[in-house]
Amino acid sequence: MATEILTRPVEDAPTSRWHSIFTQENIATTLASLLVGAAVILPLFAIILSSFQILDSSGFGTEWGLDNYRSLLKDRVIYGAFVNTLLISSGATLLATFLGVSLAWINARTNCPWRGKLEPFNLIPFFLSPFVGAIAWHNLAAPKVGLLNNLAREILGIKGHLLNVDNIYGVIWVTGIFFTPLVYLFVVGSLRRMDPSLEDSARTTGAGLLRTTLTVTLPLVTPGILSGAIIVFVTSAGEFGVPFKLGAPYGWETLTTQIFTKAVGDDANHYLGAAMSMTLGAITAFFIWIQRRIIAPREYTTVTGKGFRPNLIDLGPWKWAALAYNLAYLFIAVLLPLVCLVIVSLHPVWEGRIIFTDLTFWNYKKTLFFWWPERIVSATNGIVNSFILAFIGASIAMILALVVSYMIHRTKGFGSRLLDFLCVIPIGFPGIVIAMGVLVTYIKTPIYATLWIILLGYITRFFPYGQRNISAVMLAVSEELDQSSRMAGASWLTTLKRVTIPLLKPGIFAGWILLFVIFLRELSISIILYSTGTETLSVGVYYLTNFENEPLTSALSVAQSVVLLLCVYFFRRIAGREALTA
Amino acid sequence: MSFVELDSLTKRFGEEVAVSSIDLSIEQGEFVTLLGPSGCGKTTTLRCIAGLERPDGGEIRIEGDVVTSVSKGVHLTPEQRNLGMVFQSYAVWPHMTVFDNVAYGLRVRRRGRAEIREKTTKALELVGLGQLAERFATKLSGGQRQRVALARAIVYNPRVVLFDEPLSNLDAKLREQMRVELARLQHDVGITSVYVTHDQAEALVMSDRVVVMNKGVIQQIGDPHTIYSRPANAFVANFIGVANLLEGGLLGRSGETADIEISLGPGRPPLRLKAAGGEGARAGDRVILSVRPEDLSLHVHLPQDASNLIEGQVIDTVYLGNFLDCQVQVGQYEVGVQIDHFEQLAKGQKVYLTFRPDHALCLTE
Repeated sequence: MATEILTRPVEDAPTSRWHSIFTQENIATTLASLLVGAAVILPLFAIILSSFQILDSSGFGTEWGLDNYRSLLKDRVIYGAFVNTLLISSGATLLATFLGVSLAWINARTNCPWRGKLEPFNLIPFFLSPFVGAIAWHNLAAPKVGLLNNLAREILGIKGHLLNVDNIYGVIWVTGIFFTPLVYLFVVGSLRRMDPSLEDSARTTGAGLLRTTLTVTLPLVTPGILSGAIIVFVTSAGEFGVPFKLGAPYGWETLTTQIFTKAVGDDANHYLGAAMSMTLGAITAFFIWIQRRIIAPREYTTVTGKGFRPNLIDLGPWKWAALAYNLAYLFIAVLLPLVCLVIVSLHPVWEGRIIFTDLTFWNYKKTLFFWWPERIVSATNGIVNSFILAFIGASIAMILALVVSYMIHRTKGFGSRLLDFLCVIPIGFPGIVIAMGVLVTYIKTPIYATLWIILLGYITRFFPYGQRNISAVMLAVSEELDQSSRMAGASWLTTLKRVTIPLLKPGIFAGWILLFVIFLRELSISIILYSTGTETLSVGVYYLTNFENEPLTSALSVAQSVVLLLCVYFFRRIAGREALTA
Repeated sequence: MSFVELDSLTKRFGEEVAVSSIDLSIEQGEFVTLLGPSGCGKTTTLRCIAGLERPDGGEIRIEGDVVTSVSKGVHLTPEQRNLGMVFQSYAVWPHMTVFDNVAYGLRVRRRGRAEIREKTTKALELVGLGQLAERFATKLSGGQRQRVALARAIVYNPRVVLFDEPLSNLDAKLREQMRVELARLQHDVGITSVYVTHDQAEALVMSDRVVVMNKGVIQQIGDPHTIYSRPANAFVANFIGVANLLEGGLLGRSGETADIEISLGPGRPPLRLKAAGGEGARAGDRVILSVRPEDLSLHVHLPQDASNLIEGQVIDTVYLGNFLDCQVQVGQYEVGVQIDHFEQLAKGQKVYLTFRPDHALCLTE
């Protein structure tokens, strides 16, 4: 009753109505949704249009038609790339799911020694660049120059080679071990926080340990496993660096390497590239849709509020096997590649064996000393540009993410649901697809060939990650805290400044560093959008591996990995253990 | 030989002793409740019986079989003990239907299809869920989930059913209803039950015997009436219902009654009161007089028969619908009184409290 009396005079006055539309809240949120809408919709729209335009033989004019899509089926190379992409994604998904689930189970539910200390190390590949992983594994297990193959020849005395990663299996191997943490993160939370009485009741009902694990524990985390597997499948399909290093040079093309050649190569054809991007994007978007609409809602809420200690399974002597398994993963995914890169980077030329008399820091000087006249410009440019992009990009993306999260969770109505949907779209498309969209959208504008176009690509593709980080915290912080501030007389902006943002600080910081890391190692967007002078760190690595030699490549790779590892350290310090699962 | 026997059972978590050398015997078909505040070791005791915790000392026997013995190095896993357990969080598996949840124990025991169908259906009907067999557990209410958990625990006719605060997640109304239902069901099926709760009303309504625990030690074992009317010590007196506890010294005993002198603080003459109990105590011993609020009578004027009389001033009254809760200052003590006649009592008003000696209890420390 009281509100009726209060609001009626306000509704009668037309000037007040205008006032109620132009509030701080409405202006900020409308601007944000327009911005997000433009950033997400324009590239997709442009790429769809371009995919139906056919480049004529002169290479200038275009006409409408379906020929681009026909060549996907007719062109043997593109068709092969399509099949390879599916094979690689499936293989990597199987490998990553097996490794991720088993490691999560060991760390969360068994008495494996040192499991708590090993967990952060298990997640390291999540932060490193898979492209660098591929370079490392090439130097470890290429037939001729592979360190492991040379050791095998010298120690075991075998002829030829022991291992060969320069093929589709190598691509699957590196992709699989690098994306293992994605599955791990999807599974470990529900394994760790699962109400122990769900398993206890199976035990007291008469089921043994194995039967309980198979009929209760694993079925309960199956939706999480499936979600993780789908994310790995989609991420692998969109991965450019690994197939570019280990697949394409040896005849194993994928859709991403083909899109790359159509975007920047000598026979560049943006329209055909757009059609391939659409095909890849349709596949990944479809899987993401399945994950979010069909699998995620089926996840069981098995967490109880009660703080029980989780039941740890006593593996007996097998706990040492579990430890060995865990260490083996760390060895192949983290230690071996990094050590190999360091070794290679200290040699003037790499021929597959360590030559102690030749060790030098020359490669680091060439690639890192951006004040040095003899530097390799493409590499040193990348360092400066990547730090600028990562810093500005993460900051802008988090501001956008904050406003967007606020709109989604604190305002109601059609606008918030539309925005929620818009934020999911970039997750459904690989970076290289978004980059193609951004390229064809802005190619005739002044931002083309500047850092700004790369920044736009980064933010468009990755701001949903920051948004999800903030949303997770925002859902945990009661809306009444905001409302109390408004009741106490503070404006929307003051409330945001004094109450909302301070409460969300951990989420904002975690999201910022996560994006900083992602931007520092980003390859597939940068590779499409860069030009001379706007190379990024990963583009620098690409340049070195393509036009220089392996030791120089390794030096820059080591530098990148060290920076990324430092970020991981700060990320854990600031965000804590649980922040990653968001 | 009893059906279930606990012999000096001890369990530690690090430095903290959760259960400290307790002995307990449970007869076949009996409903025994472990009652105590949180952290008293009741759930740990139950989990030791279930085999979910491994004790640090002592032995547990069921039907004469040693299921856990630290000295003999025996520890059967939960599934080897043939028990049933109902958990606080219900722990109904969300990825199975109601039927599959209940049938789980029978399938694990490799019973025939016909038998599984028959027994599961019977168990579901017993708990009143016959209609919901094909429903998924996620679509059930809290009360229904609890019934599923119960059916699942009894369907394969285990030797003992263990209940770990099964009703504490339900709302008050449903809890009272389930209390009665559960007790009746247990009585009909005749299954030996060990029930853990912190709710004294639950314990008193349902149990054949109540075991009151505190800090890992058994305080008293007895039937509900004895526990309530003859608490063994101050802890039990105050935990079961509410009791006014007045400290004093024993002057002497005559027959069944004890004469107690209670000091009310400096400058006030001590009170001399009579109460039942005090067996084993000698004159001069420190004792505690326990009298429940509902056993005290409140008078505005000095009553005729002035034995067992306490004088005090009204501090405050709280209206609780069917009765009035009145706090009376008696020397250094605040004594609670429950009265069902609604007199106008002013703060600071002088009142007189009396009680029958056999309604109060002299407790030794």
